[in-house]
Amino acid sequence: MRMEYLKILKGKSGGELFLLGNAAIARGALESGINVYTYYPGTPSSEVGEIFTILFKEAGLNWVESSVNEKIAIEVAGAAYARGAKAMVGMKNVGLNVASDAFFALATTHPKNKNSAIVVLVADDPQQYSSAVEMDSRYYLKLLKIPALEPSNPQECLDYTKSAFEISRELKIPVILRLVTMVAHARSNVKLGEIIQPEIDESFDLSPEVNVASRLYFLDLKQDQIYNRMNRALIISENSSLNRVEFENESNNFNLGIITSGVSYSYVIEALEFFNIKAPILKLGFINPLPERRIVAFLKQFKKVFVVEENDAYIETEVLAIAQKNCVQTKILGKDPFSYSKESSLLNFVGELNPTEIALALMKITNLTPKINLNQIKDKRYETVRRRPVLCPGCPYGTIGYALKKAVKKLKSDLGKEIYFYQDIGCYTLLSFPPYSFANVKYCMGSSIALAQGVAHTDDSLNIAIIGDGTFFHSGIPALLNGIHNKAPILVLILDNGWIGMTGQQHHPGSDPRYYQEGSFKKQIDLGKFLQGTGANISIIKHQKRIEGKYSDRLSDLIYEKGHSVLEKRDIHVIVIEDECTQKYIQRNTLEVRYIDGGQCTNCGICYTQFYCPALNEKDDRAQINSNECLGCGICEEICPNNAILGGDNNEY
Amino acid sequence: MKKYVQTMQYWEEITTNTNNYIIVITGLGGQGLIRFLRILGSSLVKKGYKVITSEKHGLSQRGGNVTCFLRFGEKMVAPIPIIGSADMIIATEKACILDVLEYAKLDRSSKLIVATYEKKSQINDYPSEEYLLKVLNEISDYINFIPVMEIVAKFTNLKIINTIILGYILRFLPISEEFINESINQHFAGDLLVLNQKAFEEGRDLK
Repeated sequence: MRMEYLKILKGKSGGELFLLGNAAIARGALESGINVYTYYPGTPSSEVGEIFTILFKEAGLNWVESSVNEKIAIEVAGAAYARGAKAMVGMKNVGLNVASDAFFALATTHPKNKNSAIVVLVADDPQQYSSAVEMDSRYYLKLLKIPALEPSNPQECLDYTKSAFEISRELKIPVILRLVTMVAHARSNVKLGEIIQPEIDESFDLSPEVNVASRLYFLDLKQDQIYNRMNRALIISENSSLNRVEFENESNNFNLGIITSGVSYSYVIEALEFFNIKAPILKLGFINPLPERRIVAFLKQFKKVFVVEENDAYIETEVLAIAQKNCVQTKILGKDPFSYSKESSLLNFVGELNPTEIALALMKITNLTPKINLNQIKDKRYETVRRRPVLCPGCPYGTIGYALKKAVKKLKSDLGKEIYFYQDIGCYTLLSFPPYSFANVKYCMGSSIALAQGVAHTDDSLNIAIIGDGTFFHSGIPALLNGIHNKAPILVLILDNGWIGMTGQQHHPGSDPRYYQEGSFKKQIDLGKFLQGTGANISIIKHQKRIEGKYSDRLSDLIYEKGHSVLEKRDIHVIVIEDECTQKYIQRNTLEVRYIDGGQCTNCGICYTQFYCPALNEKDDRAQINSNECLGCGICEEICPNNAILGGDNNEY
Repeated sequence: MKKYVQTMQYWEEITTNTNNYIIVITGLGGQGLIRFLRILGSSLVKKGYKVITSEKHGLSQRGGNVTCFLRFGEKMVAPIPIIGSADMIIATEKACILDVLEYAKLDRSSKLIVATYEKKSQINDYPSEEYLLKVLNEISDYINFIPVMEIVAKFTNLKIINTIILGYILRFLPISEEFINESINQHFAGDLLVLNQKAFEEGRDLK
């Protein structure tokens, strides 16, 4: 990836590159003279952070960090902004919830320094391809009262990033750059501009009057934020070319105009072309504050205006209010947001939008018959193969799932009590599905430990929280302290694979600094020592082969034993399971692929039903290992009761 | 082989008159679909086309289904096309083709390119050969099954299916081999580069 990322820095002004939306954002920030980039990885926003991590020194930035969580990221960048830096913070939509507490103070601060600018990149994930919930971040714009821009393709990602920095620098207010997956992860031709060398204010002013969130200053500053800075933002929005009417001179028989923004704009064009309808489109690049004057002028030209947007009816609700205030009689069509009625909604509040859905809505509005029957296509059903996402071959979590299942079976028969599981956000979420099914309640990042407490305090069941190391550092620590302090009778399993595995093996404070590029200037936090400092009951188990006994058995026995002791002592117990993410481990080590000894295999099925590995399945009445997929972790060899799985026994994994 | 060769004139017509050429690519996480998009996309950009690619996937890096789109032509278009509009549909795993048939044109003119690789492990209801053939025959007059497994066996590597397909579809694309070769050179290094160059040639030379 390094070579690919270097292109973003080396690409010449006036040249064209084939860039990911996220890469175009990084280039746009470089063309704005960015000083500081902080982020917490989260799909679909992570690439921007990875790019800056690689380019950090070469591009001459003052600071780049993958912060412990989004709140920390926005605080680090926010203070740099107060001090005179051009800063940017990256996160996914749900990360904005974590950052929001600090963001409210930041939004009102009013640094005086010349260079100060801050852009917050928020990437939404409609259809929740990689999220626990589907969340439209745009209503935060109303809460925070700050400007926001929304690009519709990779070229606009670059251009709008630059505009966002300019607006923030001019108004001294944070600007949100709002993306969705189909923009962040789209790749297309992007024309480059000139990179500006980062400069930071040499003399700066950190006056409390503009930076200290307190009743003393903030009531005045909030007045200024709303009636001065947002008012000036509105003037920019009214006059900006980011808000523009496309196909202004086109018309149709339906007296129809369209208001849209972001990726929906490109879908609208697709749908209109499908029907061969021409219609003027008000494309809003500036999604807060919305340009009232221009919306009114646009509405007045039509009998009907169709507002097209993904997820919430954010723009539509605003347009309805603007129309009412200005006594505009135009019929506004869209999701009919006050009705909560699917029948009267032309587009769905839920899920990712696409050109087909817009075409179907246009069919209802215009009563046109399309050249091809979309409903006929949509109604066809095929016998598709439903594939659940699975853990990678050799994933440590597969072994943990296997061991936990064995321990739980024994515990259940011993105790005669129910056992419940609380899941968190990470690859181990996949243990929620069969053959493991370890999930009873799950919310968001860092919630499993507190969720377990809620049931444990009101029941005599055994409650087990499952959380990864990255998520534990992100937001699990306060919940654990709460559990220790309150003597919550829960068993906490910290699955320590050393990295933020799910989003691409980024590092966290516990990651081994020898194995990531910027590790040379980071300090590793020893998770075991940290936990011992809390005074809680802790066990640490490492995946080491040279210790007597099988690892999966030792793990299973430990969980069994501590499960008992949690209920006996009515107190919390924490087990840290250290076993590195295979994807990271195989980058440094060669492992030996396993194979089945056909003569020994009795086809008992333990390896491919109770233990789950994508490289293992049944073929010709015996187990089979796909040598193309096996990475060589060797756990299947360990669990085979017939010694039918062979391979290297001289590796140390 | 000759019957597949299409003239540049044909391509100019297609990509200017219909605004874009639409390719839908489907397969499984880990099969290198994103890399496929990057190699083909950057080759077409060098040729002067406007290209946009996108991906629909979540946890698919862990074995789930991935659907990608690649569109190119004279102007920039949406990352997702309308259903019933794809010019070419590629599946790097056989049954995956069934996931994206809504993008096939009703006039049966979409080219279907299906790798003969079948990932059946842990799947009880894998569709039968008869069912698949019946469905595909209803959908299109241009069905191309690509015998990738013979080539995979030759190189004992499952990860080259995407590159074999890339070699195969070269005959349908308005782009010469050099452009794609250059992109392959930029996207791989060392042994992997040699392997993928060979896989590309094997795909290109398939009948």
